[in-house]
Amino acid sequence: MSSVRGYLSGFLISGLLMLAATYMAATHAFPPFGLLMVITVCAAIATIAQTYFLLHIDTAEHNIWNTVSLVLFIPLFVLTIGLTWWMFSQLYLHTMPAMAGMH
Amino acid sequence: MSSHGNTVDPKKTVLWDAEYHGHDVISTRSLGFFLYLLSDGMIFATLFAAYGVLSYSHNYFGGPTPSQFVHPWYTFTQTVSLFLSVLAYGMGMAAMKNRNRGGLISGLLGALVLGVVFLCLDVHDMTDLARQGITIATSGGTSAFIILTQVHAAHIFFGLIWILVMVAQVSSKGFTTDTVGRLLSLRMFWHLQAIIWVFVYVFVYLWGYIS
Repeated sequence: MSSVRGYLSGFLISGLLMLAATYMAATHAFPPFGLLMVITVCAAIATIAQTYFLLHIDTAEHNIWNTVSLVLFIPLFVLTIGLTWWMFSQLYLHTMPAMAGMH
Repeated sequence: MSSHGNTVDPKKTVLWDAEYHGHDVISTRSLGFFLYLLSDGMIFATLFAAYGVLSYSHNYFGGPTPSQFVHPWYTFTQTVSLFLSVLAYGMGMAAMKNRNRGGLISGLLGALVLGVVFLCLDVHDMTDLARQGITIATSGGTSAFIILTQVHAAHIFFGLIWILVMVAQVSSKGFTTDTVGRLLSLRMFWHLQAIIWVFVYVFVYLWGYIS
């Protein structure tokens, strides 16, 4: 349970970041790869802000095991997506030479 | 937790308790439910992985791609309604902290209405796509796109049912260990949906629109 101010900060930070990401994507403000980098940074900061302000995940001792399990969860999440994507990108690269490099 | 900062003498240390002293019910349940939610996060990991490998241009088989059927500002209104719903829930929890039952129920009802708005916008979007002939059967790419976004929408649907149940329970039972514990679990569930939505919105809708 936390203060009204914490919930408002979480809402404002993530809302403004999503607004910025939407604006840049809708106007194609940068070349695709640059845009991907910028919106990834927006998503990362919004996620961290929501985790801290909304889920109250921090290093306070009363909920340290929530924090530990979330931190240990992140590599599982990243590896599941990353390794699957990598395997299939290699598969496409080697089995569909005409389509190599297409996204 | 009590061992922090104490020097341990191996000859005198008691390794287990002879009796059961009981647990803090709410914090034990909260941790258990949080671990369940993380395993739910792994469902999204597999769906994101499936979308990742099925979003190459050949996966659309020459058919429509998200860059043609995603409307960033339309989906942004979904983002705002979900974030506002989460904010309303948070305000309700802040009211609960002050033992304000009316404030909590208004917060829950606000979260419910905004969640329904989110779901209506999603259903409208999906029926619009279906009218254009874009369904899960169109191509591997649209299949992964629709399944991932609709699994998230299904989470919102069940969250809304849970919010309704909690409105009824708080109205009839008031603040008990059970209802407060459930409200804390629902808070984690509801806020986690907003966090997952950030990923769905940025990497599926926005990135799909750009590429």
